[in-house]
Amino acid sequence: MEEKSRPSVEGKGVFSPQTFTLSNGSEIQSKFPVGTYIGIGLLIVAIIAMIVTGVDIAIMIRNGSNFWGFIGRMFPPNWTYFEKAVGPMIDTIQMSLFGSFIGSVAALPIAFLAASNITKNKIVLGTTRFILTIFRTLPVLVYASVLVLVFGLGTFAGTLAIMMFTFSIVSKILYENIETIDLGAFEAIQSTGADRTRAIIVAIIPQILPSFFSTSLYAFEINIRYAAILGYVGAGGIGYLISERLGWRLYDDFGMIFILLFIVVMGIESLSRYLRGRLE
Amino acid sequence: MIKFEKVGKIYPNGVEALKDVTLTIEDGEFVAIIGLSGAGKSTLLRTVNKMHDTTSGVLVVNGSNVAELNGKSLRRFRRQIGMIFQSFNLVNRTSVLKNVLASRVADMNLFDSLLGRYSKEDKIKALEALDQVGILEKAYTRADQLSGGQQQRVALARTIAQDPSIILADEPVASLDPITAKQVMDDFKKINQELGITVLANMHHVDLALKYATRVIGIKAGIVVYDGPASKVDNDLLRMIYDRELTDDDIMESNPVEI
Repeated sequence: MEEKSRPSVEGKGVFSPQTFTLSNGSEIQSKFPVGTYIGIGLLIVAIIAMIVTGVDIAIMIRNGSNFWGFIGRMFPPNWTYFEKAVGPMIDTIQMSLFGSFIGSVAALPIAFLAASNITKNKIVLGTTRFILTIFRTLPVLVYASVLVLVFGLGTFAGTLAIMMFTFSIVSKILYENIETIDLGAFEAIQSTGADRTRAIIVAIIPQILPSFFSTSLYAFEINIRYAAILGYVGAGGIGYLISERLGWRLYDDFGMIFILLFIVVMGIESLSRYLRGRLE
Repeated sequence: MIKFEKVGKIYPNGVEALKDVTLTIEDGEFVAIIGLSGAGKSTLLRTVNKMHDTTSGVLVVNGSNVAELNGKSLRRFRRQIGMIFQSFNLVNRTSVLKNVLASRVADMNLFDSLLGRYSKEDKIKALEALDQVGILEKAYTRADQLSGGQQQRVALARTIAQDPSIILADEPVASLDPITAKQVMDDFKKINQELGITVLANMHHVDLALKYATRVIGIKAGIVVYDGPASKVDNDLLRMIYDRELTDDDIMESNPVEI
């Protein structure tokens, strides 16, 4: 006779693995609950970080009310300021649109040079990736600060900064994407006697084009927000007005800029979401 | 004509894929290469259009010494040789017609290929190729919306549009169901007989190889162990090539091979 026992569960599985015993005596152990310890570890790191950086909950609560006061002074906004804000806002959109476009287009060929399944030459691959890493090292505000020194104040420096930033992220996402595609069609087109460039054009580009458009649109979406702060370093656009109005404590003017920016960002985000949805 | 003379191939990792292969394949033949996986079938096929290099011996295809080809001369040489793959290797996101037209891109200037500007002659040629394999009405369908059999026909049309004198087929029907596999093999036969194109096919399924090919090459550990008419292949010979009895996996139909 087989011995029948009741099925049982040992342990809760929070700090140590759970053991299940079935009625026929078979046992199985769950995996070690790594997540619990990672969670505890992250909590400890967060507490240490708060202590080191001097984050004081008491100050946050005490002065937090100032924030609401500030919001209060933004409203009602100075509607007449719209006339002054709309020009720089359009500059910001143009900087972002143009910078995103050129940056994305420039990223397309470079991404092929940085994809290990397309570029077999280790030196070319390594050099391209190294340069791309340098591009990614600097935040967009630093690019803008430097470019303002080189090209002077204004939207040109801002557009260039956005272009470089877009180039750096789109090329990275794209080359990682190229590395995951199926090379069968590429091989097939090469077998017809086409050279690598032509084989890339007909066999690989159609495969990555939807993700390329999607990434570029996403970059454009992010860039609108970045473009809004570039004015802080003199690189043109709405950011200059933001820094000026806040500096002069004209909070109702800032309120107007805030509403304008909000509508533009919302509009571009929904447009981008719609277009990306159509690409699927 | 394809002429192998003592051709050998050693991979950089030391694996000897082909040993002293000597073969002559005349124009218009339908040849099946059979053997276990890893025996060197794929390598043998891919040396013909130099998708793989040889390491010794002489291989002459349509009068060209394959080892001497490179760059431009290699690309020009490859235009006369079509290739069919087990996984079809179509560009999934584009239309059937564009897939067939892709075989014309080798002759186009870069700007036109970038913009996808194919000539009227190329388009008609592509459509005619699709008509030949019976899927003209699918020309504007996206390639990934077709069944496996239809996709392999698109690949075949792509190859026909290239006007090859030789077609290399690497396991052309191994991922298709038996009925579709037969239809695709019928297409190969038609192309071989009507257009006089030499067909050199790696076949995983022995029954199909014997049914369609006029000549069979058995290969075992990189050595050609049989080269002769399909009608003379018997069970003893297959046992020698495969080193074992045939299993259900080696034949397309579930009933045993009749020889």
